[in-house]
Amino acid sequence: MPRKPTGRHPLMKPQPFSFSPFGRSVARVASAYKLKGQMPGSKFHSKNSPNTPGNGFVNHALEDGSEKSESSEEEGFEGVIQADFSFFDPKPDDFHGVKPLLGAYLDDKQWDLSGFVDLILSQITVGTVVKIENNEDDGLYSVVTALNLGRYKDHKCIMEIKEFLLKVCQEKEVLENLRSFVVEQAHDVGLLVTQRVANLPPQLLPPLYDALFDEVSWATEDEPTEELRNSFRFKFYLLVSRIYKNKNANQERRPNSSSDEAIIYIKPEDEIFHKLSSWSFSFPLRTQQVATHELKNYRLVGLVMAMDANKVSTFRQLLKSLINEE
Amino acid sequence: MATRLQFENSCEVGVFSKLTNAYCLVAIGGSENFYSTFEGELADVIPVVKTSIGGTGIIGRLCAGNKNGLLLPHTTTDQELQQLRNSLPDQVVVQRIEERLSALGNCIACNDHVALTHTDLDRETEEMIADVLGVEVFRQTIAGNILVGSYCSFSNRGGLVHPHTSIEDLDELSTLLQVPLVAGTVNRGSEVIAAGLTVNDWTAFCGSDTTATELSVIESVFKLREAQPSAIVDEMRKSLIDSYV
Repeated sequence: MPRKPTGRHPLMKPQPFSFSPFGRSVARVASAYKLKGQMPGSKFHSKNSPNTPGNGFVNHALEDGSEKSESSEEEGFEGVIQADFSFFDPKPDDFHGVKPLLGAYLDDKQWDLSGFVDLILSQITVGTVVKIENNEDDGLYSVVTALNLGRYKDHKCIMEIKEFLLKVCQEKEVLENLRSFVVEQAHDVGLLVTQRVANLPPQLLPPLYDALFDEVSWATEDEPTEELRNSFRFKFYLLVSRIYKNKNANQERRPNSSSDEAIIYIKPEDEIFHKLSSWSFSFPLRTQQVATHELKNYRLVGLVMAMDANKVSTFRQLLKSLINEE
Repeated sequence: MATRLQFENSCEVGVFSKLTNAYCLVAIGGSENFYSTFEGELADVIPVVKTSIGGTGIIGRLCAGNKNGLLLPHTTTDQELQQLRNSLPDQVVVQRIEERLSALGNCIACNDHVALTHTDLDRETEEMIADVLGVEVFRQTIAGNILVGSYCSFSNRGGLVHPHTSIEDLDELSTLLQVPLVAGTVNRGSEVIAAGLTVNDWTAFCGSDTTATELSVIESVFKLREAQPSAIVDEMRKSLIDSYV
């Protein structure tokens, strides 16, 4: 029957899931431990192995000599929280978990966000949500999906997204590309929606994107009707995201270039997408961002990117190497 | 009548507003739509005041009030306090209180006669509540939750509580409050009733995700269908006037 993952991609290493600066420092410590081997693709079909004991680190040899000995002494917390993240198919009950993640998708525009979330959750064959296994709280940490702009063109939320993007695109050369994407070529374009809590461990990203692109290719074979199968044969992917741009970006490069980078990517995969994209544009955001000291020279802007679907395998490889070297 | 609306893209309208029988507070910073929806419903009857508390917009969760008074947390600035005193009717006593649990809206649920409070509230605060709001105070929990101000919302005519409230608890609370109560949800299954809904004796505002079923439960338990502000005054008039001379 459908070759879908059983929704079990447990990461057997301890993962912190608290929303705090402490959580981030613990994530840095946790990333010092490397997985013993690569996660095999065949794991999709196996049930996850029995739970690791409460004290986390027992299963993993500390091969890494460069292990940081940061002790988790902040806030009097003794150990590291272990969490097994699991990937699930979206279902309608996830509404209250997904909606807050996508609240800022179209800046501060009031639009049919609820309808958009419903649309994502109704597409069960392609799309993944990340939750913690067996947690009664049912907290949702990430959502990833790809929506065919042509298939859903009559939905109010999709029309509002198209209208928003066409309105905020201020670069004339790109506007033509964008217009052809959302109007004429809509049937070949997949809107890649990906959002997560800020400190979700980056080790989850390669399997998450693998799951998405694998589901897309399985859907081209497993969907019941020809029309649905074709709707997943994306030729292009469109992404709406956010980056920090250096406010002084327009000035000429000085010979002794400052250590300031022109763009800071909030999500690491955005950098890879941007590099592989065929075209992209940025647009100003109306919501004010809290200015921290490190980011005082940067401004938060929205970024829209379009990538050819045949670059997906390159993306997956680059993402894996980027995450593994961190 | 119950109205559905949003504050920016959030359906938690009970967080950004506070509605009573004598006044309505609305957070600064939403689009004009939010404010004008309230104005449209209430303008001729009660003042609609734009304000912040402690510089934040979550005013519905930080303050507690009814037609007799308004209680503000210690984080309220002097300017905000003064502005509220100036904008609200004279008979409303505006009082800033020193209470460790500063999210008063989450800790206190009240109508014009009774208040339910968080079990850990100070004794002095309880006296202040009784004094300023003119209510009888009961320390209670709702479905095991101590944040009574978040998980229930009641007016003088009815109330809505957390969906997991047992029948015995419902009966007990209903006796305490002397109003009919119903366990239900708002905003498509959200259990945080008071965050998604704000209500007085003749009108209610709830988040736009609220389903038609939830809305009809709200309208029926709070008796909003026939309710007009004048209807209440007329009802009272009948009982006040003994004979025409």
